[in-house]
Amino acid sequence: MKKRQRTGSRKAQVKIPFPMVLANFLVFIAVFGLSYVWLCSRCDTLGQEIKRMETVQRDTHRRMINEQDRWSNLLAPANLDRALKRHDLTMRLPDEQKIVRVRTGTTASVVALASSK
Amino acid sequence: MKYKGRTILTSAVLAAVFIGLGVRLAFLHLRPSPGTLERIESGRHLQQETRGPRGRVLDRNGNMLAVDIAAKHICVDPKFILANGNITNVCNALSGKLGMNRSEVWNLLNQPDRRYIRIQKFTREEMAEPLRAMNLKGVIFEDVPIRDYPKGVLGAHVIGYANYEGVGSAGVEQRMNTSLQGVAGLRISQKDGRRHEIYSRRTVDIDPQSGADVYLTIDQQIQHFAEKALDNLCEKFAPNAAWAIVQNVRTGEILAMASLPTYNPNRFSTAPPEWMRNRAVNYTYEPGSTFKAMIVASALDSGAVRASDIFDCENGSWFYAGKILHDSHPEGLLSVADIIQKSSNIGAAKVALKLGEQKVYQSMRAFGFGDRTGIALPGEDAGIVWKTDRWSKLSISRIAMGHEVLVTSLQMLNAISAIANDGVRMRPQIIRKVVNSDGEIISEPQPEVLSRPIRAETAKEMRRLLERVTQPGGTATKAALAGYRVGGKTGTAQKVNLVEGGYYSSKFVSSFVGFLPVDNPAISIIVVADEPKQSGHYGGTVCAPYFKEIADQTVRYLRIPPEGFLTEYVKDIETGGSGEENGFD
Repeated sequence: MKKRQRTGSRKAQVKIPFPMVLANFLVFIAVFGLSYVWLCSRCDTLGQEIKRMETVQRDTHRRMINEQDRWSNLLAPANLDRALKRHDLTMRLPDEQKIVRVRTGTTASVVALASSK
Repeated sequence: MKYKGRTILTSAVLAAVFIGLGVRLAFLHLRPSPGTLERIESGRHLQQETRGPRGRVLDRNGNMLAVDIAAKHICVDPKFILANGNITNVCNALSGKLGMNRSEVWNLLNQPDRRYIRIQKFTREEMAEPLRAMNLKGVIFEDVPIRDYPKGVLGAHVIGYANYEGVGSAGVEQRMNTSLQGVAGLRISQKDGRRHEIYSRRTVDIDPQSGADVYLTIDQQIQHFAEKALDNLCEKFAPNAAWAIVQNVRTGEILAMASLPTYNPNRFSTAPPEWMRNRAVNYTYEPGSTFKAMIVASALDSGAVRASDIFDCENGSWFYAGKILHDSHPEGLLSVADIIQKSSNIGAAKVALKLGEQKVYQSMRAFGFGDRTGIALPGEDAGIVWKTDRWSKLSISRIAMGHEVLVTSLQMLNAISAIANDGVRMRPQIIRKVVNSDGEIISEPQPEVLSRPIRAETAKEMRRLLERVTQPGGTATKAALAGYRVGGKTGTAQKVNLVEGGYYSSKFVSSFVGFLPVDNPAISIIVVADEPKQSGHYGGTVCAPYFKEIADQTVRYLRIPPEGFLTEYVKDIETGGSGEENGFD
């Protein structure tokens, strides 16, 4: 009985020799590898996102320029004239007698002169 | 086992294949030959050069006159389309959306050996977009910039155009090409098996830089006034060509420069070269009577004559140096002031004789005739002013009336501007500023004095004399403008007959050059018509009314007040009267 007990305890004491250093190393390598893979994939995702946004920015800029160009065309004096004519609107400058002119720089002196009277 | 032999054989073959592939893979990865390495690298290498967009051309207020916009080359892959049996569909779409002939498109598509054909170049986005939305297989859209001129013909001769390679080929586009053209960008990277860029392998990434924006001194509204007036002139008098310039007399800035016939720079390839000619700077002509203003100004300045001096105008016919000189309207005794007002050839010739050959020559040069003004436009002509040693005895009498010299209308305008600007001749400017893509001003030309041909007092006296030209009794009453005092001079020069010699009796260059307001001139304008064919040919008839048309709109647009309006108002307040009497309600 005693003998049996001794044998059993000896068996229980037998351990597979696995160096902790190696285990740590393997864990480290695995973590490092996984991090590397994760970072790589993150970089790729970001790269794709940047590429997509570059394209969007280019397209938006292109559209903006094209719209500016179209707007500028609409504002061409000849086109404005044509648009007025299309709507049967006639615009002409007022007669000289119908213009009120106020010169900012000299208004004060005119007012001062008037009030001194 | 029943299939043991076959199994072994298959396994052996598979093993051999995999071993072969493995060996090849090992060789490729471990010790690739330099040739292989180069082939792999070149297959993955991606180098893109992106053209920087050309800078914009804008008017003085920032209105866009020229800009690079995005367009498309529409291309097809006929082999792919035919292989997919899609030719009818593609043909219908292309011919329908692009407005092309169906059979022409069919012939282009029906080429099974071709992989790439450009169906239409430089297609605008608004035309290409519906086609792209159809998502047709085998139709390719290539991005390409195109130079667009949103105002069409407005200022075409000043702006010029850039060709399909993006190189300025006329006008400011040509002259300022170095500033306008962008700097190309560069991207070096690698691509994957699907030919997509691998962003993380991008090693060089230099963004393209757009060219600098060029702001002109032109004002689109004044330009439009000038072009509209020329349209009206051409409609009434049917000349070969007509042109006009508006200048700020104080700074020399050109506010408008129009020339007819004109062209649309968006379709420059279809315009005849003659239409593209900017006659304001590269057409030389004998100026005729407008030249008298400079001769008389110089004579007054040198003290050779006074405005009140009387000259005998020989009743319109004077024999000098073996030839008879005529006046179109016979006059007897005229003062110098009247010689200008009536535009007497004989009177002007006698004034020039009093001034003397050397001084006439010197004054012409001092007013800038015979030299380019240096405006930033290509092809400016210097005109011709012969040295006195090449003059005949007759020359001085003919030069006084604007013959035997060739000038450009810009020179003539600049000379009259010198009189308007107290005798100071400024360099005509067309470029206001150049601004780079970061918004920094890289060049901003300042007003530059070219010469002082006459004293300020003489200039003032000349303005008074030139004002009489537009008053009753003068040759250009049609240039008079209500509310403003206008000074100027008409010119009606017979054209030189280059074939037979002498002058044509019925071909004229009519012109009017003037400025306003006389007391404090702000703008000067020249209007010239080459060979008016109907309704008259005198400068006072053909050009003066259109000078008035341009001036009338320009003074109001620029808010140039009529002369003396404030003085009147102040006087009114001083006398206790009401402003309403003077129209200031």
